[in-house]
Amino acid sequence: MTPKLYQQIAPLLTPTVDADGNALPITPEQVVNFGMMVPQNKHLALAQLLKEAGYSIYVTVVASHWEEQTVKGKSAPDPEHFEVATVVRHPGPGATTTFSWRVRLEVGESIDSLVSLYAGADWQEREQYDLVGVRFDNHPDLRRLMMPEDWPGHPLRRDYAIDTSHFPWR
Amino acid sequence: MAVNEAHDPNKLHYENPFFQKMMSVPGLSVAMSTVDQLMAWGSANSLWIFPMATSCCGIEFMAAAASRVDLDRIGSIARGSPKQCDVMVVAGTITVKMAPRVKKLWDLMPEPKWCLAMGSCAISGDFYRDIYSVIPGIDTVVPVDVYVPGCPPNPEQLMAGLMRLQEKIKLQQQGKWTAPETRPETEKMIVPEVGRLWESDRNTEITEGQISRCATLGLNGNEMAQNDEPELVQIRKKGDQIPTHLSFAANPSKKG
Repeated sequence: MTPKLYQQIAPLLTPTVDADGNALPITPEQVVNFGMMVPQNKHLALAQLLKEAGYSIYVTVVASHWEEQTVKGKSAPDPEHFEVATVVRHPGPGATTTFSWRVRLEVGESIDSLVSLYAGADWQEREQYDLVGVRFDNHPDLRRLMMPEDWPGHPLRRDYAIDTSHFPWR
Repeated sequence: MAVNEAHDPNKLHYENPFFQKMMSVPGLSVAMSTVDQLMAWGSANSLWIFPMATSCCGIEFMAAAASRVDLDRIGSIARGSPKQCDVMVVAGTITVKMAPRVKKLWDLMPEPKWCLAMGSCAISGDFYRDIYSVIPGIDTVVPVDVYVPGCPPNPEQLMAGLMRLQEKIKLQQQGKWTAPETRPETEKMIVPEVGRLWESDRNTEITEGQISRCATLGLNGNEMAQNDEPELVQIRKKGDQIPTHLSFAANPSKKG
């Protein structure tokens, strides 16, 4: 990662917070490391930046569902939310470099689709919508990919009942 | 043909509606029995297979079709079109989304037709049985004539299953009673002694032991070895005796 790109990316990331709630300065190691948190409204801007910088391969998008859970050292529990992790890759000479970031979504929020930048994001995002139920804004064709069209619910959610019946097969 | 009705456990054998009429014609029964035998010989030795291979059992099916076991020598040829086939070999897990397609392909096959369930997933769903998207056995969708248990079955087992089907066809063609195949019972789930992390009856001592062991992990290998049981220490010492020229990890200074 070039220093110029690092300077462009750093303001888009969510800074980590120390014990008193003060934002810590973002280090280059954090930028290169996997899985920095990015605010939801800067997701598309970051992808645009990386695409222009040569990260032209869209590797994957992974959404996950988190139930409400207690956090060590905090009085209020962490509410139910979703996390969307995106991975892109630079096909440069020598060792390829991978960049990934995470976006936290509250219940009811949706995330910008990257299909306008990466055509390969189409089915990947459809799969995440199908299995986890994350909605992607401005997606050209957001339908179920794997499950039958009339399937009830999204099976990879934590609160999905595994014995949900589907007439007449089971 | 006879098989769909023969699958019904309430009926002991298939009754051909023309059988009684045929038997009343003098001399015809003798002639027809010869034709029947010829038909049975023909259909049993030309079982064209429609491979409904959805997962790893399909690989074993391919091995069975290859030169060592060689399905071709009993006249079984795998075909791509269901309209040309006699036997549907269901090899693999059938999901809820796939089941209507399997039923449709089964309906496309011309009579007489038979179904062979290959492997635990096709028989009962096996360990995918309780998953939301898997049907508990293919016999909820199509009638099964022969079950070939295994996970996956050998090519030899598949061959034995097909030969069992041949015998069944010959007997049924003669109007004889054939015992309906019983579905092999899936073995009971083995409950592990050490419970999973989220189970309430997990032994807390095991958890604490694992946590304390993880705390020392990676800091100093020798400290770790001292805390281990004596047998483990011996194994670890043996592992250290790898010649340095064979292992880069044992001598990191010579790396590259």
